[in-house]
Amino acid sequence: MQGLALYPFDPPGDIAALRTDLRAWLAVNQPQDDIVAKANCWASFDPDFSRALGAAGYIGMTLPARYGGGDRHPLQRYVVIEELLAAGAPVGAHWIADRQTGPLILRYGSEEQRRRYLPGIAKGELYACIGLSEPGAGSDLAAVRTTARETAEGWRINGQKIWTTGAHLSHIMLALVRTEEGSERSAGLSQLLIDLDTPGIIIRPIVDMAGHHDFNEVFFDDVLVPPGALVGERGQGWRQVTAELGLERSGPERYLSSHALLAAVIDSAGPDPDTAVAMLIGELTAEMWTLRQLSMSTAAKLAAGEDPMIEASVVKELGNAFEQDMPRRVQAIVDCGWDDDTDLAKLLRALLIASPSFSLRGGTREVIRGIIARGLGLR
Amino acid sequence: MSAGRDMLCDTARAVFAEAATAGVAPVEEAGFALLLVPEEHGGFGGDWGDADAVLRIAGAMVPDLPVADLIARQAALLPAAVVSLMAGAMGQALALSIDHVNSRQQFGRPLAKFQAVQQSLSVMACEVRAVEAAAAALAVRLDAVNIDPSAAGFEIACAKLRANRAAGIVTSIAHQVHGAIGFTEEYALHRVTIALMRWRGEHGNDAHWAEILGRKVARAGGRGLWETLTSRG
Ligand SMILES: Cc1cc2nc3c(=O)[nH]c(=O)nc-3n(C[C@H](O)[C@H](O)[C@H](O)COP(=O)(O)OP(=O)(O)OC[C@H]3O[C@@H](n4cnc5c(N)ncnc54)[C@H](O)[C@@H]3O)c2cc1C
Repeated sequence: MQGLALYPFDPPGDIAALRTDLRAWLAVNQPQDDIVAKANCWASFDPDFSRALGAAGYIGMTLPARYGGGDRHPLQRYVVIEELLAAGAPVGAHWIADRQTGPLILRYGSEEQRRRYLPGIAKGELYACIGLSEPGAGSDLAAVRTTARETAEGWRINGQKIWTTGAHLSHIMLALVRTEEGSERSAGLSQLLIDLDTPGIIIRPIVDMAGHHDFNEVFFDDVLVPPGALVGERGQGWRQVTAELGLERSGPERYLSSHALLAAVIDSAGPDPDTAVAMLIGELTAEMWTLRQLSMSTAAKLAAGEDPMIEASVVKELGNAFEQDMPRRVQAIVDCGWDDDTDLAKLLRALLIASPSFSLRGGTREVIRGIIARGLGLR
Repeated sequence: MSAGRDMLCDTARAVFAEAATAGVAPVEEAGFALLLVPEEHGGFGGDWGDADAVLRIAGAMVPDLPVADLIARQAALLPAAVVSLMAGAMGQALALSIDHVNSRQQFGRPLAKFQAVQQSLSVMACEVRAVEAAAAALAVRLDAVNIDPSAAGFEIACAKLRANRAAGIVTSIAHQVHGAIGFTEEYALHRVTIALMRWRGEHGNDAHWAEILGRKVARAGGRGLWETLTSRG
């Protein structure tokens, strides 16, 4: 925990050019009509945009070229995703596949799985969802009860997942299931890669408080998937999921979800804002600058092959607090009606409503603080 | 950290240990005023990364001595120096708090085993880590511009403002988990917490830096903020 220095963020290649090229590409290709899609933009699904982004080489960047990837350095990918998030680009469709499912398939998957799934992921055409949570297993993930029994034809899956973001738009689910009969807690779990068009899978929408259909319940009724659906080692699901959560928690999306709002506040304030607004902008800027330094350092540590579990949790905790707090602080200071027809009002409303989820998704605030406390030697 | 900086830190720890009882004289005698003076002028030729490292140790060990003035040598660098002191003092407050909750028992177990205490300390640790990162990133910037504070105005404002904000959270949690013992003259916690209270208001309180920074950012526009952040590293 005692990290005096920052891990140097030193991606190879011409990073200024990478940024300039991407900004120019976005100027042409980013849809501009829907301002609200720019808030919380890694939840905004736009398959056309994802396909175009993939064709331009900005998805699957770190995957090997033989699987359709870009053979790029992880920190080059970092630069690309922070640019996409800061621009509010609608990256939701491919987000999970690019961030965690692809890298996990590369690391633990079979050769067949890699060939089958990675090229589609890199093209921005194949989307994935995360099958962890169940009705009885939220924070307590080891309480997972969905089972997969090995049979002569393959794995037979029975059970239910819930809160599965994008299941209705995804092609595959990476699910954590209990493969060992009678096993308990974190033992006996495995990861299965499930094609979502397999018979017996029922996906039902859950409409969220913003009125959006983003997450779902997914039911498995005697679903048969081939033996090759197992990812990595049988019974090692817990260990693999922990690695996956590391990828899920460490990225710049944990502090950039509300960036569109900050930009709108600055624009609406004009070059000579009143003192209260100037101070608000200053405070948010200081926080954002600090978070970016922490996030880059964590990414650099991850790229160097170290395990920044605690640092990633610090970024998530501080980042979620920042992005959750921002709309509330903006509302407290900037005069803006709930139903106003301005970009600022629309973003503010959307983010106030979305913000409770920021400290739930990807591990709750309390769970994240528990991980940090363990890093401090308190538990 | 470079071997040279490691040695510098070892020296600083030894000198500050002496200074804790003897006052600032040992620090002056050890030549810390020459840390940033170029070698050709008879100094140590250190960079801001060195100053940051030494000042963090000073913030933890001798928060009441004027080490920042001694090392920084120009008024415009004092806010940056104080950020390093604050990072050090906060690290010390955290270390004392962790030790305390691991050893103090109530209800038959160490305080550290209570979830409410764990959650408070992890909030505190995040703040400390943020200020450490701010101090380190500010040092990187200052060293990239030959320690010219006018070329690091953005980073100085961000770092001091962030450190100020953390000061309130860190001091209150540190005292809360210590209970009454932390409120005594005898116990060392107040040395760093009182210093943090003082530093928050010195060389620019929250409002001072928030307004300066906010006006700077407002002039650059909404997209300009991101361009500023990414072009300065
Ligand atoms: C927008 C959104 C998208 C999501 N997408 C996905 C997805 O794609 N795939 C997926 O698998 N899941 C997804 N989730 C689910 C998410 O991972 C869970 O919501 C989260 O793990 C918490 O579980 P829960 O909702 O059951 O809350 P609970 O676990 O019931 O927790 C409720 C409250 O109690 C607290 N709590 C629980 N246990 C403890 C404890 N031991 N100590 C202290 N406090 C405790 C929690 O911190 C929380 O504040 C999503 C959730 C949201 C909101």
